[in-house]
Amino acid sequence: MTEPLVRLTKVTKEYFGVPAIRAVDFTVLAGEVHALVGENGAGKSTLTKVMVGITAPTSGTIAVDGTTVNLRSPADALSLGLAMVFQETSLVPSMTVAQNLYLGQEHFFTRLRGMYIAAQQFLQSLNFNVDPMTPVAGLGAAQKQMVEIARAVLRKARLIIFDEPTAALTPEEKHYFFALIDRLKTSGVAVVFISHAIEEALQIADRITVLRDGEIVTTDAASSFDRASVIRAMVGRTLSDELYTRKDGQTRPPQDLVLSVQNLSMGSMVRNTSFSVYAGQVTGIFGLIGSGRTETAKVVAGVLKRNLFHGGKVSLFARAVRYRMPRQAMLDGVVYVTEDRKIEGFFEGMSIAENIFAGYLTARGPRIVSPTQMRDLASTWRDKLNIRAIDPGARVVELSGGNQQKVVVAKSLVQRPKLVIFDEPTRGVDVGAIAEIHTIIKGLADDGLAVMVISSYLPEVLNLSDRILVARQGRIVEEFAPHDATEETIMYAAVH
Amino acid sequence: MITWLRTRIDSFLGQGDAAVTVPPMDGALSPNTRLDRADLIAQIPTPNDLAQGDATYVSSGNTVYRLNPAGAPEPFRHFAEPVTSLAAHGDQLAVGQPQHILLIHGSTQTTVPVQCPTALAFMGDTLIATQGSSTNAPAQWKHDLMQRGSSGAVWQVTPGSPPKPLATGLAWPNGIAITPDGIVIVESWRHRLIRLGQPNAVLADLPGYPARLSPAQNGWWLCIFAPRGQLVEFVLRERRYCTRMMAEIDPDNWLAPALSPPKSFLEPMMGGALRTHGFVKPWAPSNSYGLLVRLDARFRPVRSYHSRADGTRHGITAAVDLGTHVLVASHGGNAILSLEGDLP
Repeated sequence: MTEPLVRLTKVTKEYFGVPAIRAVDFTVLAGEVHALVGENGAGKSTLTKVMVGITAPTSGTIAVDGTTVNLRSPADALSLGLAMVFQETSLVPSMTVAQNLYLGQEHFFTRLRGMYIAAQQFLQSLNFNVDPMTPVAGLGAAQKQMVEIARAVLRKARLIIFDEPTAALTPEEKHYFFALIDRLKTSGVAVVFISHAIEEALQIADRITVLRDGEIVTTDAASSFDRASVIRAMVGRTLSDELYTRKDGQTRPPQDLVLSVQNLSMGSMVRNTSFSVYAGQVTGIFGLIGSGRTETAKVVAGVLKRNLFHGGKVSLFARAVRYRMPRQAMLDGVVYVTEDRKIEGFFEGMSIAENIFAGYLTARGPRIVSPTQMRDLASTWRDKLNIRAIDPGARVVELSGGNQQKVVVAKSLVQRPKLVIFDEPTRGVDVGAIAEIHTIIKGLADDGLAVMVISSYLPEVLNLSDRILVARQGRIVEEFAPHDATEETIMYAAVH
Repeated sequence: MITWLRTRIDSFLGQGDAAVTVPPMDGALSPNTRLDRADLIAQIPTPNDLAQGDATYVSSGNTVYRLNPAGAPEPFRHFAEPVTSLAAHGDQLAVGQPQHILLIHGSTQTTVPVQCPTALAFMGDTLIATQGSSTNAPAQWKHDLMQRGSSGAVWQVTPGSPPKPLATGLAWPNGIAITPDGIVIVESWRHRLIRLGQPNAVLADLPGYPARLSPAQNGWWLCIFAPRGQLVEFVLRERRYCTRMMAEIDPDNWLAPALSPPKSFLEPMMGGALRTHGFVKPWAPSNSYGLLVRLDARFRPVRSYHSRADGTRHGITAAVDLGTHVLVASHGGNAILSLEGDLP
């Protein structure tokens, strides 16, 4: 039998004495696509970080091509052909694509022109349509990912690990990404990818490994799984029905009109859009990437500015408002829970308590910070939203995606809002946390708050919303009642 | 000074009061075709108002009809002048005419000198009347809108006493609701419902021009007689344009709200904004529309009944709830409709 490319034997990694992964046996075969799935906190990231030398295992062994190795750094792993592409790219935004590709491999005198030509030829060989002279800051999420992948391939990686590779991609970009995975596989490169999108794992993986509570539950051929069996293995129960089925079939009746957006315009992204949001209801907004939903929400929340001339009107509780900064909106009770939590949602180097208190300070204004009050507030919200952390003082960056999202939600809700706008609330969040976040959202509407949920995931929109608005080309084009809508009718409205 | 400056800035930037925007028809006001699907009870020309007393009355032109038990209209009284509003209480009938109100009780008829009565409602033996304008006749409602009139008033008419003003300076008051907490008045040109004596509107920023209110079970029926459109909102800000339009163009062809769908090629909005390949687009920004809104007891919209741009039952001016069904007057559709089985 062929020796696996990478073999982990009885690997355990502990943080502060708490095991993140326990006695894990894991193999990656050359040229296979291996999906790692599991709830947030299941140990997927830790497992992959051990494989590429970012963290050292507490116990156990790692073998590459049958030889036991001691990976002390990512450079060690890379020299053996093991690379990782992170969810947040590790590229330098101010440098060009070519400079990023050859970062760390520069000679004393590097000819820029030669580097660009080499980069151009290399990118073309991978069939990547990226200009090597473009600064990385000017690239979209998919293109950044391409550069990351190209960098890994350039360094002769034999195993590339992707952490949530499709979270930031449009459907079209995903298509290209999957084609790329196929090409890597054909050329003998092994791919391990962490994904919360179970359908993707089932679609492109050869094998699937399910982790739960730091242990491997099962590893098997992808063909032997279906969505329900993967979820059952992940959470130990069938969550699919709980997540995306309306149990009561009832919708909440509208209460007072909270937000009225009239003929709002912002550049070419938001074009004369109008809609209303009522208290005591979840108003779902579905639209494809580029439909202007996020921009509309950001204008409402003061994150972006509408057109200076004839930009339309936004009324909050029948009062015309025009926010020039988010704090003004927050003081009026409007909070925006961002889709990009890692960039806009929290201070990653600060603790849970500090992040939640930052939200509190925003709403209350500057004041002397009482550590006791901060801890008490954090404790209250940790209990309310079931935020799980190994250490209560842990930095938010150390939390799993679902718990990070809950911190962002807590940071917003501590401001006692009247209108809460969730933008992709469950993106990059595991199924267990999705259920909890959905419960939080529904609870807010039950408490009489006006809630807007922007989502690209149709079952989520259908499950959560009391009204479904469809955005297309910068405006709201259709409204559905959940009981009248199907995934097909909503998608038809979104694309036609 | 600051107000003057703000007005100028708003006007320059097209924001604040100068924003030419229209509230969306969504939520409880989401478009549908319920009015077009409603049963046709009677076809009479330009029905204006409905009233329910001992019998159900409909006004049309100079005539008041009474609906027989089968629902067919039978001429009840004919007047020398057009009937502008109606109210009934038991066997009493109040009939509004351009220059006065007639109180009819059996064979007794009393004239009350309130001009331009647009809506009437009995509060016990007292009659509450809205006067649309002190300068324009009811038929000149478009003139009043284009002049941005706000000379309307609410009158209390008590038998044996002269009419007493309850409120003045209103922008075409056009509907009345008698509630335990006071009198709610519809102000058409300000697109809102206000409670007399209170500063805040009970319902504001409607997407159309509201007309009469009538009681329903645990709520109210609100008629919207025409839609608001960005073009008309813009025209209303352009005072010189309005003045010239009023001076030079036939009112039927004004850029203004209308009670019925376009009939002539001379009317504005006949181009691509309204039609594609010869068909009227249902979502077109038309000047006429059919909209009846069911409000809850707190005057919040809970359901609506529409006849969209491609429909025919436009210009909803009155509705009356008969318990099992609701009669609706479509001025532009020349029809009395019945809504049943589709009620909240």
